[in-house]
Amino acid sequence: MTDSILSVRDLAVEFDTFGGVVKAVRNVSFDLTAGQTLAIVGESGCGKSVTVQSLMGLIPMPPGRITHGRALFKDQDLLSTGARGIRGRHMGMIFQDPMTSLNPTMRIGDQIAETLVVHKQYSRKHAKDEAVSLLARTHIPEPGRRANQYPFEFSGGMLQRAMIAQALACEPAILIADEPTTALDVTIQAQILELMKTLQHDNGMSIILITHDLAVVARMADQVAVMYAGEIVETGSVEDIFYQPAHPYNQGLQQAMTSNHEPDRVLSPIPGSPPDLFSPPKGCGYCKRCPHAMSVCAEHPPYLTAVDASSHQSRCWLHHELAPVHNNPVRRP
Amino acid sequence: MFRYIAKRLLAGVITIWFIATATFFAMHAVPGDPLMNDKAVSDEVRKNLEARYGLDKPLGEQYIIFISNMLRGDFGISFTQQNRRVNDIIREHFPVSAILGIFAIIIAALGGILWGALTALYRNRLPDILIMLLVILGISVPGFVFAATGQLALVHVNAIFGVKVLPVAGWGTFSHMLMPALVLGLGTMALLTRLMRTSMIDVMGEDYIRTAHAKGLSKQRIFLRHQLRNAILPVVTVLGPQISAITTGGFVVEYVFAIPGLGRYFVQAVQQLDYTVIMGTTVFYGAFLVLMVILVDILYGFIDPRVRVSA
Amino acid sequence: MNYRAHDLKREDFAPLEKSQLDEVVARPSLSYWQDAWRRFKQNTRAIISMYILIALAVFTLGGPLLWTVDASKQNLNQTSQPPGLAKHALVVSAFERWTLPTDPSRPEYGDLPPEELANPEGLRAAEAPNTQSVRITWRPVAEAGGYNIYRHTRPPTSMQDLGLPLGSIETGNVHGYEDRLNLKQEDYFYSVVATDGFDEAETYATLQLRPQLAITREHALEQGLSEDPRAGDTVTLAFYPLGTDYLGRDMLARLMEGARVSLFIGVIAPLAFVIFGVAYGGFSGYVGGTIDNILMRLADFVVALPFLLFMILFKIAFGIGPGESGVIPMLVALVLLSWPATARLVRGQVLQIREQGYIDAARLMGASNHYLIARHILPNTMGVVLVTFTFAVPMAIFAEAFLSFIGMGVAPPTPSWGSMCNEGVKTMLSHPHELILPAALISITVLAFNLFGDGLTEALDARMRGRE
Repeated sequence: MTDSILSVRDLAVEFDTFGGVVKAVRNVSFDLTAGQTLAIVGESGCGKSVTVQSLMGLIPMPPGRITHGRALFKDQDLLSTGARGIRGRHMGMIFQDPMTSLNPTMRIGDQIAETLVVHKQYSRKHAKDEAVSLLARTHIPEPGRRANQYPFEFSGGMLQRAMIAQALACEPAILIADEPTTALDVTIQAQILELMKTLQHDNGMSIILITHDLAVVARMADQVAVMYAGEIVETGSVEDIFYQPAHPYNQGLQQAMTSNHEPDRVLSPIPGSPPDLFSPPKGCGYCKRCPHAMSVCAEHPPYLTAVDASSHQSRCWLHHELAPVHNNPVRRP
Repeated sequence: MFRYIAKRLLAGVITIWFIATATFFAMHAVPGDPLMNDKAVSDEVRKNLEARYGLDKPLGEQYIIFISNMLRGDFGISFTQQNRRVNDIIREHFPVSAILGIFAIIIAALGGILWGALTALYRNRLPDILIMLLVILGISVPGFVFAATGQLALVHVNAIFGVKVLPVAGWGTFSHMLMPALVLGLGTMALLTRLMRTSMIDVMGEDYIRTAHAKGLSKQRIFLRHQLRNAILPVVTVLGPQISAITTGGFVVEYVFAIPGLGRYFVQAVQQLDYTVIMGTTVFYGAFLVLMVILVDILYGFIDPRVRVSA
Repeated sequence: MNYRAHDLKREDFAPLEKSQLDEVVARPSLSYWQDAWRRFKQNTRAIISMYILIALAVFTLGGPLLWTVDASKQNLNQTSQPPGLAKHALVVSAFERWTLPTDPSRPEYGDLPPEELANPEGLRAAEAPNTQSVRITWRPVAEAGGYNIYRHTRPPTSMQDLGLPLGSIETGNVHGYEDRLNLKQEDYFYSVVATDGFDEAETYATLQLRPQLAITREHALEQGLSEDPRAGDTVTLAFYPLGTDYLGRDMLARLMEGARVSLFIGVIAPLAFVIFGVAYGGFSGYVGGTIDNILMRLADFVVALPFLLFMILFKIAFGIGPGESGVIPMLVALVLLSWPATARLVRGQVLQIREQGYIDAARLMGASNHYLIARHILPNTMGVVLVTFTFAVPMAIFAEAFLSFIGMGVAPPTPSWGSMCNEGVKTMLSHPHELILPAALISITVLAFNLFGDGLTEALDARMRGRE
C-alpha cells in the first residue's frame, strides 16, 4: 500500500497473569491510509483496545509482552522505545471515560498546552493561546474562561471535547479514539462524532475508531475490521461489512441488531461466550458458537481469504474450495 | 477560597474554647486542691494564696475568670515557681520546641514523599524491599527507643572518631538540632512513606496517567507533574494530625537530649503538680494544634482545587 | 493470501458435532469470609504475624503457669545480669579481713628515689580470686616506700593508662592487697607500681585474673540453693534465662507480668472504644439528618483534644500523683479519647451502605429496620471494624508505653513494658539488655498487629485484588 501511513503486520500481544498467560492479541494486521477512518469492531475482550494501546506504547511491559509483529508509522518503528516522539505529536489518542482520563489537579488549558510545549517547543504563552483556540474549535463556549478551569468543573460531553482538543493540539496525522462515546448520552454522542468528522475533514487526518456499537461504525467508518478472540476475522469497506457480511460472526452481529426497517423481526442473539484466552482453541476461535461449523474448523485455524475482487477479506473455512456449496452462507457456486 | 478559610477559623475558635473548658473542668476534678502539696504552709499564708489564685471562689466564677484571663492572654503565675508567669515560661520555651518540631516535620515529609515515591516506582524490586523493611521498623519501634538508641549511637560514633561529630545533648547550634529532629521525625517518616507508597501506586494506575503516556511525555515529566502532584494529597491531609504526634513525641526527645523546650517543662510541671502551668500549657498546645490543622487544611486547598471550589 | 499446504479432504468439511466441544468451567462459589480467609492465607507476612500473636497470647497467659518465678523478688547478689546460662558459684565462708603479707625484715621506708625503683616481681594471686575478695601479693621491691595498686578492665597501655586507682600502701614492707570493690566475674588487670611513699616509679607489673563467682554460706542457705553448704562446694545459682534488672529481679518473669499489664490495656481499651464507636457511629449514620450532624460535631470536639495531654490530665484528675500507678484511669482515658475515630469510620461506612441498591431492595421486600441492621449493614461494616480494632491495639500499646516511659502511666515497681524501658534507659550504656528486651517485645507486638491488620485489610477489601 503506497499511501498507507500506518501498517501493522502479524501483531501478537500476551500478558502474564495469576492464572497464566493470556494471549490477548493473536494475529492482527491492517493498513491505514491518509484521511481514512478505520473502525475496529468487536465485543468486550476481543483485543481491540490492546491492539491500539500497543501501537501507542501503553502496554505495561512487565505483565505485557509483544511476542511478534511489526508496526510502522511512515517507515518509523512504533514498537521500539524511540517511538515516544511520535506519540502525542503525530498520533493522538482519546479514551473512553473523559472524567477519569484527565488530571484532576491541573487546569484544562495547561493539559492541552502540554504537548505543544513538549513536542513543538512552543512558549508557555503561545501554547496557552493555542489551547484556547483549540477549545473554541471543539465548540466549547467561553473557551478563555474554560481553559482556566479544572476537569471537575466540566460536564462529560465537554470533557470529551476537551480531550479531543488535547489530542489534536499538535495536528497529528492519526487520531485513535478508543470507544469515545460509550460513556456519553446518545445526543452528546452524535455531537462528538460530528465534531470528529469535521475536524478530520479540516485536518486531513486518519482516524482509528474502536467501538462495539455498529451504529457508530455505520456512521463514521470508511474501512472496518471485525475482531474476535484476538484476531481480525473480517475486514473490508463499510458497505462490504454491512451488506455482504462474509464471516459467520459478522453475520450473527447483523442479525442481532435492531432495525428500523423490520421492526417486528425477532432478535436472534449469538449463543455462548467468547473463548478462554488462557488457552486459545486449536482451530477457529468462533467455532463453538458458529452455526456452520465443520470438522476442519475445530482442528485448524483458518486464514484470511479474499472474498471478492475488492479489499474484502474473511478468515473462515467456508471460503475454502473444498467447503460445501449447498447451505453455505458465503460461497456462491 | 475565603469562605473555606473563614469556616475553618470559626470552627477552630470554637474548638479551642472547648479544649479550654474541658481542661479547666478536668483540673478541677482533682480531689483536694492544688495547694495540698505545699509543705509547711500556715493557715494565713494559705488563705492569701487561695485569694490570690482565686481558689476560694465558687467554681462557676473561677471558670469565668479563667476564660476572661485566657482571652487577654494571661495564663497566670506558676505554682511552683511563684515569680514566673506562665506566659513567660511559654514564650521562653515554646520556640525551642517549635523549631525542633518544624525541623522534624520537614525531615519527615521530605523523606516520606521521597522514599514513598521510590518504593512505588521500583515496586517489588530491591529499593522497595529495603525501604519497606526500614519502614516496618519505623512504625513498630516506639519513639522513645529511637531517642535513647539514637543518643547511644552518637556516643559510640563520637568515641570511634575521637572527635565530637555531633553533640550528644543540649541545644544551641544547628548540629544540636540534627539528631533530635531526625529521631523525632522517624516515626512519622515511616508512616508517610507507607501512605505515599499506597497513594502513588493508586495514582500510577489511574486513567489520566495513561493519557499522559499517550501524549508522549517523558517519564520525568509524568512523574513530577502528574503522578507526584496527585499522590501527595493524602500525605498532606495526614500532616495535620501528625504534627500533633510529633509535638507529643517531642516531650521524650527533649527529655532524653536535655533540650530546654516546652515539652520537657510540661512533663516536669506534671510531676510537680504545677497547676497553672499544666492548664496554661495544655490550652496553649491545644490551640496551637488546632491552628496547625487549619493551616494544613488551607495548604491542602491550594494543592487540590476540588476542595476550595466546593467548600 | 497464504496458502499453506494442508492435506485437507472433503470429509474435513463435514458439519461438526457440537457436543464434543462442551466444556465446563465451574469454580466452587465461596462466601465472603471464606474468600477473605483464602486471600489472607496467601499473604505470608500476615500468616507469620498471626503466629506471632498466638505465641504472644501463650506467653502472656500461659507463661506464668510454666515459669513460676516471682517477678518482684529481688536478688541483690545478681543485679543487672545479662541473659545467659545458669551460673555456678563457689560457696565461701563469711568474709574475714585478710592480714596483708608483711615482711618485717624490711624497713618501712627506702632510700632510693622513685625513678630508680625496680618493677615488682612475682605478682600473683595469693589465693583463688573470687567475687567476695581478690587477694594479690608480690615480692617486695628493694628500697620501696610503698606501692600503688590499680585495676583495669583491659590490658593497660602505659603509666597513664593503668585504670582505676584502688589504693595506696604507705609502707614498703607490706606486699599484698585485698580488693573488694564491686567484683564481678570478669577479666581484671591489676597493676602494681612501687613508690617511695609519695611518688611512683616508672615501671609497673600487671596481673590478669578472673574472679570466680562466690556466694556466702548464709546466702546460699537463704536462697535455698543447698541444704548444707560448705566452703569450697559449688552451687548452681538461680537461673535467669533473660538476665536480671538493676534490682536483681528476673527479667523473664517481669516481662511476662509486664505483658499482662501492657496487653490488658492494649486490648481491653480498644475493645471498649471500638464497641462504643461502632454503636455511636452506626446509630449516627443510620439515623442521618440533624442528629447525625450534632453527634459528629461532638465527636470532632473530642478529636481536637490533644491526646496525650489529656491522658495525663485524666490521671491527675483521678487523684493519682506522679510515681503512682493508674491502670484503670489510663484505661478510661484511652477509651474516652479514642472512640471518635472509630465512630467516624463506622458512620462513613453505614452512610455508604445505606445508599446501596440492595438496602432499598430489601426494604421493598418488607425488611424491618432490625433485620436490615443485623443482616445487611452490620456484616458489611465488620470488615472495617475488625481492621480498625487491629490497628487500635498497637496505638494503645504505644500510648501506654509512652506514658509509662515518662512516668505518667504505670510506675515502678509495677512492671509494664513501658516502665521497664524507662528503667532500662538508665543503664543503657552498661547493661543494654534491660532496655532492649522490653523494647523488642513492644516492637514485635506492634509489628505483628500492624502486619496482621495489613493482611486483614487486603483480604477483606475486594478492590485490593490485583494490586500487588
